[in-house]
Amino acid sequence: MSMFNRAKKFDLGCFVNIKTIRDHTKRVAFAAHEAERQALRYTIRNTTLPQRTRAIAQLQLSQMHCYTRPTQIRNRCIMGGKERGVLRDFKMTRYNFRLQALAGNIPGVKKASW
Amino acid sequence: MSVPRARILDLMKARCQVFGTTFNPDGVRTGNKILRQRLKGPSIVSYYPRRLVTHQDFQKEFANLELTVNNEEEEDRLEHIQGLKSRGKGAPKKKNAPAAFKDKK
Repeated sequence: MSMFNRAKKFDLGCFVNIKTIRDHTKRVAFAAHEAERQALRYTIRNTTLPQRTRAIAQLQLSQMHCYTRPTQIRNRCIMGGKERGVLRDFKMTRYNFRLQALAGNIPGVKKASW
Repeated sequence: MSVPRARILDLMKARCQVFGTTFNPDGVRTGNKILRQRLKGPSIVSYYPRRLVTHQDFQKEFANLELTVNNEEEEDRLEHIQGLKSRGKGAPKKKNAPAAFKDKK
């Protein structure tokens, strides 16, 4: 953590708690190190390179900070910060989505009835 | 009707030249598929919406027109603190750090 600056609370316009701030910090860290990660991944997958080079690249990739890993990133609800049951299209949990949709705040969404 | 291997390789070579791909008849893994991937950093960073304007910005904008904007949340907060203080439950006043340090000694 100490090597990455935590995103400031006033950076984000959505629901903010420490979990969303942390997730955003991870996103920024991932974007900053993505090119480096891809270069290492390429070196590892390239079978025409010497075995030693590839092994070193493997070691370097595994020793990178965990915040630079894409698997650490989790889409969270922008209305309540929850991580489970988040609809990807609306970035909201299913309950918040229902509330907002019924209130008419989401364009093009209406309750089905037939 | 079998076509010789050399001829097929020639065809593959010509195809690679035309379409600008790498000629790799043995199917050796060169990791090029990693280089072909697009960087997804920008789209991942832009997941959470950014705060564009704050209440203070509003107040500054309208101050030029000699209009005042009420920040209800801030007013509620100050009122709450005032209530706490009147009941003697407020946060203690900040001490001077060096003075407190001396007292402990």
